[in-house]
Amino acid sequence: MLSLQHISKYYQVSGLKNFVLNDLSLEIDQGEFVSIMGPSGSGKSSLLNIIGMLDEPSEGYHYFAGHAVHQLKEKQRSALYKQYIGFVFQAYHLIDELTVYENIETPLIYQDFKGAERKAMVADILDRFNIVGKKDLFPAQLSGGQQQLVGIARALIAKPKLLLADEPTGNLNSKQGEEIMELFRKLNKEDGVTIIQVTHSEKNAEYGSRIINLLDGKIESSKQL
Amino acid sequence: MIKNYLKIAWRNIVNNKVYSAINILGLAAGMAVALIIGLWVVNEYSFDKFLPNYKQLYQVELNFTTQHDGEHTQTAMAIPLVDVMRKEIPGIKYAAETDWVGWQWHSLVVGDKKLYLNGGAAAPDFLKIFQYPFVKGSAKDALTDPYSIVLNESTAKALFGNADPINKFIRIDNQQNLKVTGVIKDIPKNATKQFTFLTPFSFKEQTESWMKSARTTWTNNSFNAFVELQPGVTVEQIAPKIKNLVYEHSPQMRPGKPEVILHPLKDWHLYSDFKNGKAVGGFIDYVRMFSIIGILVLLIACINFMNLSTARSERRAREVGVRKAIGSQRSDLITQFLAESMLITFIAFLFSILFVQLALPYFNSLVDSAISIPYTNSIFWGIMLIYVLLTGLLAGSRPAFYLSSFNPVKVLKGSIKEGKSASLPRKILVVTQFSCSIALIISTIIVYQQIQHAKDRPTGYNAARLMMTDMSGDLNTKYDALKNDLLASGYIESVAAASSPVTNIYSHMSLDKWPGKSASDEAVNIAAVFVSDDYFKTLGMTLKEGRDFTHSWTADSTSVILNEAAVKRIGLKNPINQLVTWNGNTVPVRVIGVVKDALMDSPFTPVEPAIFSHGHVANNIMYRLLPNANTQDAIKNLTKIFDSYNPAYPYIYQFVDEEYNHKFNLEILVGKLAGIFAGLAILISCLGLFGLAAYVAEQRTKEIGIRKVLGASVSQVWLLLSKDFILLVGISCIIASPVAFYFPQHWLQKYDYRITIGPVVFVLSAIAAIVITLITISFQAIKAALTNPVKSLRSE
Repeated sequence: MLSLQHISKYYQVSGLKNFVLNDLSLEIDQGEFVSIMGPSGSGKSSLLNIIGMLDEPSEGYHYFAGHAVHQLKEKQRSALYKQYIGFVFQAYHLIDELTVYENIETPLIYQDFKGAERKAMVADILDRFNIVGKKDLFPAQLSGGQQQLVGIARALIAKPKLLLADEPTGNLNSKQGEEIMELFRKLNKEDGVTIIQVTHSEKNAEYGSRIINLLDGKIESSKQL
Repeated sequence: MIKNYLKIAWRNIVNNKVYSAINILGLAAGMAVALIIGLWVVNEYSFDKFLPNYKQLYQVELNFTTQHDGEHTQTAMAIPLVDVMRKEIPGIKYAAETDWVGWQWHSLVVGDKKLYLNGGAAAPDFLKIFQYPFVKGSAKDALTDPYSIVLNESTAKALFGNADPINKFIRIDNQQNLKVTGVIKDIPKNATKQFTFLTPFSFKEQTESWMKSARTTWTNNSFNAFVELQPGVTVEQIAPKIKNLVYEHSPQMRPGKPEVILHPLKDWHLYSDFKNGKAVGGFIDYVRMFSIIGILVLLIACINFMNLSTARSERRAREVGVRKAIGSQRSDLITQFLAESMLITFIAFLFSILFVQLALPYFNSLVDSAISIPYTNSIFWGIMLIYVLLTGLLAGSRPAFYLSSFNPVKVLKGSIKEGKSASLPRKILVVTQFSCSIALIISTIIVYQQIQHAKDRPTGYNAARLMMTDMSGDLNTKYDALKNDLLASGYIESVAAASSPVTNIYSHMSLDKWPGKSASDEAVNIAAVFVSDDYFKTLGMTLKEGRDFTHSWTADSTSVILNEAAVKRIGLKNPINQLVTWNGNTVPVRVIGVVKDALMDSPFTPVEPAIFSHGHVANNIMYRLLPNANTQDAIKNLTKIFDSYNPAYPYIYQFVDEEYNHKFNLEILVGKLAGIFAGLAILISCLGLFGLAAYVAEQRTKEIGIRKVLGASVSQVWLLLSKDFILLVGISCIIASPVAFYFPQHWLQKYDYRITIGPVVFVLSAIAAIVITLITISFQAIKAALTNPVKSLRSE
């Protein structure tokens, strides 16, 4: 599904290149559930942002669903991204001024779905995630777990093929975390959504089908579960 | 999608009440100023255009070129010119001679109703040229009968109540009865020519003895004339045919090199200043000046919006990041932020309409207009829609482009800290704002300095308790008896009569010969005033040398008194007992005295050369109350005396000091308007500064906390937060000063008697601006400085 070849990401600091990712290559197939692990500063989030096209590598080739991403223009990249990718954040990043319903609806607006269609899709996912009763509340009125649930619902609303999650349970207690992981597993198994998550927790990593360990911007080890 | 944007915009407005209020009210004030100035400008341009054929209407005027006064343009001309134009110039559809319509005061009496109103005499075609709508009667025959009169609606109502006035009679000046043949609608306020009634020109010719030869005398330049050109005929076609008419027909007028010109009606109001025979400007200068001020105030308000929106960007940054991460493109975000600024602009616009509606009555009384918001005019709303869109775009584009440029990865990590790149444009904008505001304030002060300067100018006479009344009806013939009665009343100190009031010069004549005149010297155009005895004593003017006129009307019939300016103009040494000739007379007159210069006309121009002659042709009577007289009692008593001598006229009086003050009306109006707009500009700027200070204090909460823990005092923190702003305002003062020197300096050139702009006004304005700035930001700065550092640091 996606392929990264010789990807590097660095920042120039007073003439010196400060590498975040260093000549990293990686292939991920459709239907995989990959967990990326590693100590702070090993480049996990940068890797995820590059895969998610929120950031561009300094060097290297990036292929996604048959497109050479490194050659695409911003607009085309954005269109590709909208179609295939959903993002889940550690800090949920819901829009404070929008209700649960409106937060989930927003990606559909950007993808030009019609009003009636949007209504049906949002109603469907609210139902699936069991948060119909919360739909008119604002993020500040929800617990962390509930907010993350909304965040995931928002990421999934447009039926992406790839779900990227940057420490999705980092701000949650263990019980809430487990629930989220169960949900990920179910999405992966039953709906066939490819998932890549960054995590610090061994336990959460083991929900996936492959664990990649990063160190100093390089893949240190990769094991299939 | 727009609905979604507007929803979030609305929630942002509601959630940040103080910030929104600053934004909306500041913008509303700016929009209201621009709107009210816009309405005023439209009103100024609408002058006289209510007449359907206004494009073809012209006033006939004359250019003269003389040695002493250069080229000057006047509206006064002689009747034979009108007859020639009417009969011999093809392309002129109608021509009408008039007297000074609107400036001729007459008494109109019906039964016990006495009115003293301004009107004039006009030839019948006047009403065909000026197609004032008739309520009763018609333009065709309203002024054909010499003993007829046309009234405006309010005058008709005042004289006849609700009864039909047509064919009823009015007694004019207690001499003749005139039949009402027409009633026209009241002249709208946006008309240059204002009058309440018209009498036929033929009536004037038949009843006023001095008019007998006026129709054939080319030198009697005492009238006005108006023409309408045939449709399709342009002024360029007519101009060469009329240019030399006076020169050709009248050998006596040739020394002045007269040229006939046409002054288009559409320019009367805005282009009425003539220089070298051409209309070069006039009120249009003020229209342009205030248009610029309106745009500046709106710009200042828009800058507030830009600065506050971008300053708050950190709060919005996360939203931008999230939206980009869930699929928004930059263009979507730009649309969103523009929609948001449009919404705020629209709300501000609603407030501005309210502000304008509330301010209009005051504004109308200030500028003497009848401006209203044209609620039912669809063109107005179309323009307002464009106005809102443009303002929204102007205010919202910078925030929109700035906010939408954030990199999602960085803002979601929370690492966005705006650096110099964002705060530099903001500083430039603040400097722009304050430069405009300070320049406006300096200019306003200079206008007031100029007014005060002219008011402080010695007038050369004493205006205190000095009163004037028109010498109307029978007063002139009974003057000596009236004078005795007034002096005997116990309220009056002194009485005199003259052909001009104290504050105006009604006639100019030529001073033809004087001792020492060289062959190349032309005659001098000189202000001519016929006075009674006691004139100088009553006005409080002092004789420099020589003597005053005697009490006998006949003894001094060949004596004149000159003012200092006249003596200086003709270079007369030892003027007393010299012989001069004037007004085309062959018999010389003797100079018996020289009076010190007095301001008889504009307080802004040099004193004109004037000649005073002892004569019985008075238009005004002037009298001074005794110092201890009670004004109300005096007026009651004076009313009785005047009524007994002049029963057909109401007793109307003016105080000379009030009349003199009217000469500053335009300047005071300009000063007031400039002051109001400058005040609003600085207020709006400070509103923005208040918001910015709040933002900076909030942004530096942690820094302030740490500094306080390290031992900084409240005043040190206050200084820390204030000094950046003070620096900006200081720079603004430096930028504003040359601008505020150039434009007022240009304005002052209009005035011969003017101030020189000194450094004091700039220093004072700078100090004032800095003090205002300090007061504005200190509220936030002190609040931040007083905050317990434990609180601000705990939240980190």
